[in-house]
Amino acid sequence: MKIKIFFITLLILLMFSHLAAEIDIQAYVDKTKIGTQDILKLTIEVSGNKAGSVPQPELPEIKNFVNRGVSTSSSSSYSIINGKMESQVTKSYIFRLQPQKAGNFIIPPISIQYKGKNHTTQPIKINVIQGSTEPAPPTSSRHQRREKPSASSSQKLSDNLFLKTIVNKRSVYKNEPLIVKYKLYSRYNISNLSFGEEPDFQGFWKDDIFIPKQVNFDRENYQGQLFSTMLMRSTALIPNEAGDLEIPSQELVVDIRTEPRSFFDFGSSKRYTIRSKSVKIKVKELPIQNRPVNFSNAVGQFQLDSDISSNVLKVGDSFTYTLKISGTGNLNQIDVPKLPDINNLRFLDPEISTSINNNKISGTKTIKYLVIAQEKGQFQLPAIKFTFFDTKSKSYRTLQTEIYDLSVAEGESNFIQSSAAQSIVQQEGTDISFIITKTELQNRTILVEKFLYWFIWFLFISTIPIVKIYAKEKNKLAANTDYLRQKKAKRILKKYLKQASRKAAATDPEFYTAVQNGLSNYLADKLAIARGSSTEELFQKLKENLSDENTYTELQKIFVKCDQARFMPGGFSKNDIRQDFEKIKNLLSKLSRIKGGKK
Amino acid sequence: MNKKMVFYLLLMISANFLNSTELTQNIFDSAVELYQNKNYEQALLEFEKIRNEKVQNADLYYNIGNCHYRLQELGEAVLNYKIALKIDPTHQAARRNLRFVLTQTKDKQQLDHENRIFSFWQKIFNSMSINLLSLLSLIFFLLVILIIDLIILRYAGREKTAPIFIMIIAIIFLVIFATLTAIKYHEFRAMDEAVLLSPSAIGYSGPSAEFTRVFTIHEGMIFNVEKEQNGWSLIKLKNGLGGWIKKDNFRRVTF
Repeated sequence: MKIKIFFITLLILLMFSHLAAEIDIQAYVDKTKIGTQDILKLTIEVSGNKAGSVPQPELPEIKNFVNRGVSTSSSSSYSIINGKMESQVTKSYIFRLQPQKAGNFIIPPISIQYKGKNHTTQPIKINVIQGSTEPAPPTSSRHQRREKPSASSSQKLSDNLFLKTIVNKRSVYKNEPLIVKYKLYSRYNISNLSFGEEPDFQGFWKDDIFIPKQVNFDRENYQGQLFSTMLMRSTALIPNEAGDLEIPSQELVVDIRTEPRSFFDFGSSKRYTIRSKSVKIKVKELPIQNRPVNFSNAVGQFQLDSDISSNVLKVGDSFTYTLKISGTGNLNQIDVPKLPDINNLRFLDPEISTSINNNKISGTKTIKYLVIAQEKGQFQLPAIKFTFFDTKSKSYRTLQTEIYDLSVAEGESNFIQSSAAQSIVQQEGTDISFIITKTELQNRTILVEKFLYWFIWFLFISTIPIVKIYAKEKNKLAANTDYLRQKKAKRILKKYLKQASRKAAATDPEFYTAVQNGLSNYLADKLAIARGSSTEELFQKLKENLSDENTYTELQKIFVKCDQARFMPGGFSKNDIRQDFEKIKNLLSKLSRIKGGKK
Repeated sequence: MNKKMVFYLLLMISANFLNSTELTQNIFDSAVELYQNKNYEQALLEFEKIRNEKVQNADLYYNIGNCHYRLQELGEAVLNYKIALKIDPTHQAARRNLRFVLTQTKDKQQLDHENRIFSFWQKIFNSMSINLLSLLSLIFFLLVILIIDLIILRYAGREKTAPIFIMIIAIIFLVIFATLTAIKYHEFRAMDEAVLLSPSAIGYSGPSAEFTRVFTIHEGMIFNVEKEQNGWSLIKLKNGLGGWIKKDNFRRVTF
């Protein structure tokens, strides 16, 4: 008994010591034989006491399988042996794999790198068959009840749940639109729906018309059985290359709720992936024969309308010329019809708008030109041609617009409406300017070389001394008015002396009166005292100014003699007159030298 | 008697003047007509007839330049535009055409200075004629004299700061305009600019073909002549290169 216990503990210890050193990895699947509609569960289990720190294994690319996601679970157990706690952790990664087609495949070995060691699982063989290996869940009671009379109801899943591809045309021309619809048929209770992978519409230009926003089933009798149907997707396709094109299959993920079997069974939900069948389409090249030069690439059925906003204008006015192409076809890929050249009208860049109806293949393309009338006159707006390929008659057709008559009158101004399409004047060539045809052939006079010019400078300069002298003179006058008197004094004296000399010649006693008057006035002015001052005053002043005593006494003598001659009869001799005149002349030459009174 | 003489003299001068202008004016009109009929050679001969009458007129030289350009004589065209611009630096058409013709010469030349500020001042300077400048100097001189007179007459014994301040400003302007007039007159009478008329010319480092080749210039090149020595001229190009070329290859910009 003791030995037995010993062996068991030894075994466990060995095992643990082995586990402690290593991790263990293994892979297994839930079943090796599955259908294309089933999902394979591949579990990778990592165990060991350090398994928690092992990174998630990377699933390599597995041929013919699509990875649909992974879920993880882990469990751990502890045991205490000899007072030592040991832990065992198991981590499981469950990958959900969806087979792509039927056949025998191999899931390759999966390896994990951990602490420099490579751990590898064994490869697994899988047999995939068409359809499903699972028993199809019973169809919904709703449908069962109805189809009870028809006992031939199939129990196969693919007969009760499928996605149908409906194409409105199997053979189209290049650029001719077609509509593809994916419709779900089901006899089960569907709890949830979602799209799988987005198919690749190679060779088509694609525009979705309809994708449902909520689950909404219709009833439809299909081949004697009642189905719930739902339009899953409707798409407009325009093939842009010729040849055999394939409309790819659409993937749909469906959750089906099973019917509860008993009161305690609430039923369960099961997920299936279904796929529509791909459809082959034949795309024909447009015939090269009879193809017009100005073919607009439009394929379908179209109408052309035109409109003009006004046809009576003035120069500089603008009008709108509208072209409308409406119909069914590849409206988005149409080339705008070419305008003919019209010299007297300026077409600005058109404004193009395309409105497409909900069905994505019909609508209206509107081309609006703003046209400016540039010259006056009567013009014709010629017909504009639009060529397209008519899919009904399978031939090219050309449509024409109306011809419009325009009458342009003289404008009030040449104002051209501002618009984004205004252009900057471009230089079209270079050349020298034209010769000058009218000129005055005169020699250019250079002022600097003219005498007159410099003479004017000289004249200006000469004003300075002139002004200076003038100012000086004016200053003198302003400063002293007596100066004037002093200057006048000489003239007065001269006047009296002339008189006196005449009297002297005639030995007239009047001589003394003239002398006295003249001398006293002269001295009064000269000495700047008031005229008519008394003789005493005069001499007083004279004494102050006169330095020469001799002259002074001589003057006094003359004055005395004058008084005697005037007031005392016989107070003078006739002989004296000549003598006195000479004396006075001498005196005056001395007197003129005295400076005037105060300045 | 004196007055009578002056009157007769004036009459004689004006009659003579009128007669000659009327004659040249007729030639001018016929030349313009020839040019309009694209007979450039004849038009050129007629214009040159007027030029030989010693008429100094920018428009005339401008028209001669145009004729030469039409006859594909770029050098002559450049020369005549340069003369027109010398007579009248404000002649816009001549400036425009010269600028255009200079784009067609073999050597790249620029009429305007590359430096923007410098070219701005150059433009202002070019836009003022010598007569305008001399008149402006005269006006500012008159202003200075008037202020001096005013100071003498009215500001005796008074505060003179205000009139002296104005006078200093006027003097500054006077100096500027007088200097500009002097520069302009110097430029006007200068003989040193020349235009190459031969299809090409080689510049040597000395006044003989035996010296080192320094550069090759082509018809229409504008340069300055610095000195002359036995049939050779030392020229200086706008880019600073200097060399000796044969004297008969170019003609000076003068009238």
